[in-house]
Amino acid sequence: MLEVRSLSKSFGGIVVADNIDLSMRKGRVLGLIGPNGAGKTSLFNLISGLFPADAGTITLDGKPLDRLALHQRARLGLSRTWQHVRLFPSLSVIDNLIIAARDYPGERLMSVLLTPGKVRTAARSAREKARETLERMGLGNTAEKSVGDLPYGQQKLVGVARALMNDARCLLLDEPMAGVEGRTYEAMQRVVREVASSGVAVCVVEHNVAFIRDLCDEAVFMFQGRILGRGSVADLTANPQLTELYFGH
Amino acid sequence: MDYIYSVVILISLFVVLATSFNLVIGYGGLISIAHPIFYGLGAYTSALLARDAGLPVPVAMLAGAALATAMSVVLSLPALRISGDYLLIASIGFQLGMIELIKNLRFTGGASGVSNIPAFLVPSYGRFAYVVLVICVAVAVVLLVRWIAHSDYGRAISAMRDDEVAFAALGRDAKWMKISIFALGSGIAGFAGALYAHYFRYVTVEQFEILMSSTILTMVVVGGLRSPWGPVVGAVLLQILPQAITFLNLPPVLLGPLQGLLFTGLVLVFMFVRPGGMIQAGTTWTSSAHTKASKP
Repeated sequence: MLEVRSLSKSFGGIVVADNIDLSMRKGRVLGLIGPNGAGKTSLFNLISGLFPADAGTITLDGKPLDRLALHQRARLGLSRTWQHVRLFPSLSVIDNLIIAARDYPGERLMSVLLTPGKVRTAARSAREKARETLERMGLGNTAEKSVGDLPYGQQKLVGVARALMNDARCLLLDEPMAGVEGRTYEAMQRVVREVASSGVAVCVVEHNVAFIRDLCDEAVFMFQGRILGRGSVADLTANPQLTELYFGH
Repeated sequence: MDYIYSVVILISLFVVLATSFNLVIGYGGLISIAHPIFYGLGAYTSALLARDAGLPVPVAMLAGAALATAMSVVLSLPALRISGDYLLIASIGFQLGMIELIKNLRFTGGASGVSNIPAFLVPSYGRFAYVVLVICVAVAVVLLVRWIAHSDYGRAISAMRDDEVAFAALGRDAKWMKISIFALGSGIAGFAGALYAHYFRYVTVEQFEILMSSTILTMVVVGGLRSPWGPVVGAVLLQILPQAITFLNLPPVLLGPLQGLLFTGLVLVFMFVRPGGMIQAGTTWTSSAHTKASKP
């Protein structure tokens, strides 16, 4: 599915990715753990195309992504969420999802001006899909609300729902559980499992080790831009060296 | 009566300019001050094509709008590839550069401008016909921008303005969207310029300088950014007030500074007292279908 080979990136003297190899498999959930500043979010930024790598390759189903911009990678089915949610505050919950639909035609001015009927039809089907996605996430009753009016946990769920509207083949979740608890925690677990079982390759950056342990098929441990360990979450958390790096002395 | 017609035409043209500028700066969030130069390019192109190349005026007008659109793409294509702030810097340079170019080219009439521009409609149907035409164009532009703002494209514009990176991460091409908005706004300004040229039949480059930028910006800010009717109110108010001042019989030496004070004062007052302008836009985007459905 998604293959990262020898990926490196530095900003001046700060190395955020140092010769990283990573594979994401269809239907599997990969956990990415490590202390703050380990380079986990930077790796997501490199994979999604927010900034270019200095060296290395990224392929999705064999197709090289290296020269593609952020939006072009997303169109190929590479979807992501953000640590700080980054919803669109001027849109309602459902409009936040409609805008993310794979075939949303509303971004092309000429289509809107010349074929408004066709655009309206496509937007209607995007609305139906958005409603289904919100129902699936347990957010059906929030559809018409302004995203700013939702509790933070629900905003996180909306962020994931929005990422799913793209018919993602590969989903990168950046700290989906930060600030989330209770019922939202369970909903997030259920949704990520469902998404993975539908054949999507999922990668989760998360500090909540219990969440990673319950959810992930395997995990990698990152520190200072390098991958120091791979395996099951139980194995990684049982490694005293990695635990010391994670929690300090 | 001719004076009234001229005032109505100027108000209508400023409605077109302020509304198209609202599309660029308000809805699109694209900070540019070069709007008057596209107005000027439309005016000059249409005037020269009709006068010197003998093109029919409607064709020359469309050519003026087309050239303004094309030049806006030339400006925005490199500027928007880097970052939004560069558009502002590039727009200042572009406006100053184009003004100098027009001033120094022989076929544009240099600093003297272009005169004897062929009239349109007026010789056959009278001035009132032209007034009706310009008002119709102004109404059409306001309705077009309002429709775009509440269409599916408007939803995308709102999202892009909120967070361009998150928008692009959804597979949306923010760069082309910004170029399209900029081109449409500039093309409309170019058409307004052509309408100006064939009524007043004389254009000079000084009409399209930085002062004009601040006038249009004031109209949008005072009227209401991102509100379809805000720029209309702003344009009407800021065209009528300076005209009204001329009836105070003040010495000419006082009139100019007083008008300048009026514009600056209004911007300052609105920035502190009512930053959203006279007609405040809602904080949440609504579709046109929703707007219709929510009416009693």
